Amino acid sequence: MQNNGFLKTREIFAIALIFVSLKATDSTPTLIAQKTQNATWMVPIISFLLILPSFLLMIYLLKKYNDKNLVELFEAVTGKWIGKLLGLVIFLFCMSALMFESRNYIDQIKVLYFHNSPMEIMFFLFIGVVFFGAKKGIEVIGFTAWISFPIIQFTAILVIVLISGEVIIQRAFPIFGSGLEQVLTQGYSKAAIFGELFVLLIAYNATKESRMFRKGLLLAAFVGLIEIVVFYFVYITVFDYNSIQKAAFPFHDITQFISFGNFFTNIETVFMIFWLFAAFLKFIILIYFTAWIFGTIFNLKSFEPILLPISLLTILGGILPFNSGLTELVYHERLLAWLSLFFIAFPIVLWLIAWKKGELKA
Amino acid sequence: MRFFQNKKPTKKEKEDQKLPIHPTLTENIDKMKQLFSYDINKDFSMRTLTIQQDQKKGCLFYYGSIVDGAMINEHIIKPLFENKGDSIKNIVTIENVEETTEFKTVIQNINSGKAMLFVDGEGIAYAMDVAKFEHRNVAKSENESVIKGPQDAFTESLNVNLSLIRKQLHSKHLINEGIQIGEKSVSEVNILYVKDLVNDDILNNIKERINDINADTVRNLEVLEQYLEERPYSLIPTMLYTEKPDRAASYLEDGFIVLLMDSSSACLIVPVTFWSFFHSPEDRYLRFLYGNASRIIRLCCFFLTSLVSATFVAITNFHSEMIPPDLLLAITASRERVPFPLIIEILLMELAFEIIREAGLRIPNPLGPTIGIVGALILGQAAVEANIISPIIVIVVALSGLSSFALSEVNINFTVRLMRFIFIIAGGFFGMLGLTGAFLLFFMYTASVRSFGVPFFSPMSPHFISSNDTIFRSTIQKEKYRPDYIKPKDIQKKG
Repeated sequence: MQNNGFLKTREIFAIALIFVSLKATDSTPTLIAQKTQNATWMVPIISFLLILPSFLLMIYLLKKYNDKNLVELFEAVTGKWIGKLLGLVIFLFCMSALMFESRNYIDQIKVLYFHNSPMEIMFFLFIGVVFFGAKKGIEVIGFTAWISFPIIQFTAILVIVLISGEVIIQRAFPIFGSGLEQVLTQGYSKAAIFGELFVLLIAYNATKESRMFRKGLLLAAFVGLIEIVVFYFVYITVFDYNSIQKAAFPFHDITQFISFGNFFTNIETVFMIFWLFAAFLKFIILIYFTAWIFGTIFNLKSFEPILLPISLLTILGGILPFNSGLTELVYHERLLAWLSLFFIAFPIVLWLIAWKKGELKA
Repeated sequence: MRFFQNKKPTKKEKEDQKLPIHPTLTENIDKMKQLFSYDINKDFSMRTLTIQQDQKKGCLFYYGSIVDGAMINEHIIKPLFENKGDSIKNIVTIENVEETTEFKTVIQNINSGKAMLFVDGEGIAYAMDVAKFEHRNVAKSENESVIKGPQDAFTESLNVNLSLIRKQLHSKHLINEGIQIGEKSVSEVNILYVKDLVNDDILNNIKERINDINADTVRNLEVLEQYLEERPYSLIPTMLYTEKPDRAASYLEDGFIVLLMDSSSACLIVPVTFWSFFHSPEDRYLRFLYGNASRIIRLCCFFLTSLVSATFVAITNFHSEMIPPDLLLAITASRERVPFPLIIEILLMELAFEIIREAGLRIPNPLGPTIGIVGALILGQAAVEANIISPIIVIVVALSGLSSFALSEVNINFTVRLMRFIFIIAGGFFGMLGLTGAFLLFFMYTASVRSFGVPFFSPMSPHFISSNDTIFRSTIQKEKYRPDYIKPKDIQKKG
């Protein structure tokens, strides 16, 4: 791993923010809107509130066990084998995220911009770029994320500003959509959309000082939440609850609405470029961290050679399910519900074990 | 067999060079004649004389073509005939006299333009500096022109170049250190740095790399650059090549290191970042707003020259829905009778532009105007009229070609010109998806490049304390720090 301590708060912030906030632009809102209708925008808040204590607990544990990353922490607390098993669960979560989400992203690009292109080639192209990008290592990923961060944020804000004419605030009411109960259960079962925050913890020692890492990550978590909520809110107020359930890719549907004055009426490609840039970065981060987790579990000295098999596996897994709607709506939803429980529970269990062992006193 | 013939200097030659100087003059004269092939080498001169002081025989050797004849007459021969003194050093009126006892140093000294005096009965030779290499006068900078700011440029003479730098930077800490390189023809690389600023690790790294060069000759700085760089196959340059002394001085002030050689009319600045290539010295001479305005324009040019053709290909081929209908109709109408696919058209035109540029550069001066007429008329007008190229392509390519001149630094200019072709192909292959991917990879590759350990996009990312002179610069009063990425000994500029 190339690491000379060049990473600081801002790079981690950018990495984490791009990684988390891109959730606002995929098909998750459609998934959530099936049950909660126009209260969709509240679900991430509930999810975040549910997962935040566990997340803070993890950060607290990492702080206590100095110089350890996520998987090493598992091993330190629960012993070698159970620790590795827990690590493996996180690894499988990453792999499934890679496969489901890359398929989802390729579908978005294909349906909206390249109707006639074969999906397999697009998959190879997309993951190929991601693979070569990830090869450059965590530092370069950090630099790239930070330098491209302002422009990506600027276009995101521009989308909000340009669409604001279409927003009808009244559509947010009734405020709890199909009922408070639905919102809360959905908030719980979709808590795994913030599960990716845990994946980032593998890089705990990548920064110059771990204080910078904590600061960057927490800041990004909150800003990311705000971005997700704002985007979800815009989706439901623009589409209303009936259409949002049928809009497969709400972000791109929104950009289709946007025009810039009377002359430039179809500027969705402009936003697509920056969205694509962020999407590439997101997958570079995800694939790199997946390899990192794998490398730590199996005690590999250098995990970068693992990137190639993981990339190929992603392509393979992404191409396999022929019906992307089914993948998205059935498998992914079930997976999310299971993982939510896992992400909420395991930090608490870890903390309890560490506390019982008396390792937190020092 | 060639391998065996291509050996280093024979054993005998090496022994000859190591030989100490003989006490008797005739022996030494024979030796010198043999070493420098006196009988066939026409500009190698020898002058025997009798020294007035003690009536000893002496002999003077030098290359007639690289010394100042009048100076030899006035300050060596005349004093030797007329003056008295207790030693040779006190007789001749040359500013710099050195003694040597080895033929190796004698050879080096004669090659660098010194006259060597052998005296009978003495086992030493006196090296007297009378060098006068021919060089151009200091001229106006031609490749990096500025409107506001000093106009002088380096010329092919080390002393002149040094004086140009010292004129800008009056500091007793400005050190000029020489390192000799080359096996067959020894030349000297001069390392300039400000002693109380420069980072010793970087300095030593550079010295080591220069010492590690294993070559018969390193004729000039342009060749040295290629010997020093880490990634010879990379598209990204890692050293800044400039012909402006004021630019060199401003980098020296910040703790950077400047390399000079006698035979080059430029200097190399190390280490560099992306911003060094992006900036022009004029940015700092112009007032705050004017300087930053020209930076914005240059940034636009950077993106235009590398991406405009590729974007045009991508959008018209894959995303034509985003072009406003009127414009789309105009483009289609202009392409109606053109037989080629758009990407071929663009590639043809870009290639034509590169040809005009390359040929225009090499063409002898008297023929210069011809190429303009041929280039503009045939490639522009006629190609359009013959329906080979659509007029809109001419506009796009001209725009991208013109923009490339705003990035005047020769290395980065090549980088963007070559990348342009990769981007065009990427844009023709999967439109914006291909182009964004290619640009991202290019960007990440650039971010991973290091110049002597300094990441290429610092101080933007990774962040370092500095005056934040990246895309924009702050006002002169606010520039309080030297860039921390080169770890200068003193980071605070003032106060």
